[in-house]
Amino acid sequence: MSFRRWSGIALAIGLLIAGLHERALAFPVDGDQTTLPAKTELNEDALRRPREVFHSEITGRRSELIKLGNLAFSSPSILGNVAQQAGISCETCHVNGAGNARLFVPKMSTRPGNFDTTGPLFNPKADNGVLDPVRIPSLRGARYLAPYGADGRMASLRDFVRNVIVNEFAGAEPSPAILDAIVAYIHDIDFLPNQSLGPAGRLVGKISDSERRGEALFAKPFPHDPGLSCAACHIPSAAFVDHRQHDVGSGGLFKTPTLRNADFNAPYFHDGRFDSYDQVVAHFDRVFELGLSAQDQKDLVAYLTAVGDGAMPYEQGAGAALKEIDDFASLLATAIPDGDKETVALAVDTIGGELRELTEHYPDRKDTSVPGGEQERAAARAALKEVVLLLRRIDMAVGEGRTADAAADYRNYRSLMVAAVPSLLARADRWSLFNAAVHDSHYEALRQVMQSKHMPQ
Amino acid sequence: MVGKRVALSLVLALAVGARVADAAALDDAAERYRPYAIEGIGSALAGARYLRERAAAKDLAGAKKAWLSARAGWERSEVFTAGFVPELDALIDAWPNASSGFHTIEAKLFGAGQTDVGSDADALVQHLDELHTKLRDMPLSPQGLLDGTVRLAYEVGESKADGGESRISGTSLDDMRNNIAGVEFAYRTIFADRLKEVDAGLADKVTARIEQLKTIVAAPDLPHVNVRALRRVSEELVISLQTASAKLGLHRSTLEAQSR
Repeated sequence: MSFRRWSGIALAIGLLIAGLHERALAFPVDGDQTTLPAKTELNEDALRRPREVFHSEITGRRSELIKLGNLAFSSPSILGNVAQQAGISCETCHVNGAGNARLFVPKMSTRPGNFDTTGPLFNPKADNGVLDPVRIPSLRGARYLAPYGADGRMASLRDFVRNVIVNEFAGAEPSPAILDAIVAYIHDIDFLPNQSLGPAGRLVGKISDSERRGEALFAKPFPHDPGLSCAACHIPSAAFVDHRQHDVGSGGLFKTPTLRNADFNAPYFHDGRFDSYDQVVAHFDRVFELGLSAQDQKDLVAYLTAVGDGAMPYEQGAGAALKEIDDFASLLATAIPDGDKETVALAVDTIGGELRELTEHYPDRKDTSVPGGEQERAAARAALKEVVLLLRRIDMAVGEGRTADAAADYRNYRSLMVAAVPSLLARADRWSLFNAAVHDSHYEALRQVMQSKHMPQ
Repeated sequence: MVGKRVALSLVLALAVGARVADAAALDDAAERYRPYAIEGIGSALAGARYLRERAAAKDLAGAKKAWLSARAGWERSEVFTAGFVPELDALIDAWPNASSGFHTIEAKLFGAGQTDVGSDADALVQHLDELHTKLRDMPLSPQGLLDGTVRLAYEVGESKADGGESRISGTSLDDMRNNIAGVEFAYRTIFADRLKEVDAGLADKVTARIEQLKTIVAAPDLPHVNVRALRRVSEELVISLQTASAKLGLHRSTLEAQSR
């Protein structure tokens, strides 16, 4: 058995353990007074988040348009009232442009990772009266993946985004500029690089025998319909899609999903019915009577795993959050002198929300589940709160036409965020929720408190 | 030249004199706040004692009612609890690892529906009693009270989308209302008159923002609280109060008790 295979198995076991561990620590929304149904799981307590790679950063800097799109994508304020109240944005489901395998909303999901966009919660007018959730897709490489929607009903990403905002989430009609920006942002989200994929989507480099056999099986015509093969729809040279809809025995016509980075896109199929490649391969074997042996199935899974891989799929820590905040805040450099109240308000609202969330990663003194670092945590919290207030001062100043004051506050903001804030956060890091032990202890305490609510009385 | 020096000395003397007068006026005002502080904690203490009694009688409904009453008194007092008595604050209001205090009892009464909170209620009564006693002669500095007011005003704007701190009893909105009542009372009792004298416009802004907050949390339930407006106004109020601090001859308030 090759080293790669062994390391693949080790990785799979590791991920399984990590997955179980994270599930055990899941902490959903709860209480009688929440906008979202009790037991909703948004996965916002995840220790690690999908890494986001931008096409434009390969060749240069991200444009203002793309940054504005990313900002709007992360802002609840572009969606309707229920989403705003719940603090839900596009980013909640598409975390850093990927999916969200743990998201679960009672009455809107049938399993973690899927969601009914035509359900009653966010826009009753969009409710089709049927619980028909679809898997939350990753948006990586979306520019290669038209048409849009699980059923591929929309050729235009712009139309699709507008429909999500206005119809599915009851948001106000977005301005053409915001729509253009969101589309530009989504188009900029790249696949994670995969060194095993060469030109034309062929496996290259150190490929195991099993993966090589799987690649051959993938291209092999189906025994009962030689016009079909896996590769006929998942075209390796075209990001493993054919831009068409097919009936693969799952209850209708659905578009071919990409296999790139798919290792991180479970659950699979339009409704997320399958957890693993094994189940997917078994389904095709059964529906299309492929006659695959157990070894064939393993080989296909090995091939899919190699194709679906991606470099450094996750990131964690305050640094990643600060980088995104920095990107958003850079829009203020032009929005302030332009007196662009709308962009300033959107940026202040969104960044302020993210900074307040980041603050809660440094528990206050009353959180007795965190031993030590009280001063460091307080300093980190105080610094982040000061930054929130600086942004609000900018919003107030621009709103009142005091552009020079806003520019001065923006300089103060930049100055704090360049060194002082990252340094204070770094000092408090070991007592923060970015530390796995502190994270687990904190959420275990929360879980225990909340369990009492659901004990039989 | 001599005349100029005299004039300068006079100006400085007047400024220092005015500052001393300011400080004395605020000290007096802080002293006027003391009975309210004692009353707030006294109300929490009375509630906790009644809670202990009702729990001992296995009266779940009565114990819950008493918990709510104790909680209201506590939340109004958060202007000074975190800053002046941090250790007791952490014992009384620990969250989420609630091995003692309000939230431990909340989980048992409102979560598990049990009344076996005897030792927890004893501890809560003891800690509130200790605080109640301390309040009679504890120095209450205007600076500390402004800091507490500012910090609580910021806290009011925090997200309660997950149900908030008192999610088991479903009283997070009441917490917010009582927090705002605490902010308003501290401001009106201690700082409002002096601020009106030195900057009436700023005083009007503070008052207007407190009124806005009260309107926002007058919503029928937590899901109907306009969370974006709440956050915006809470931050605007903090900024106004920070601006006011210099005009009142005080330091600018920081946002965490231990970070000055």
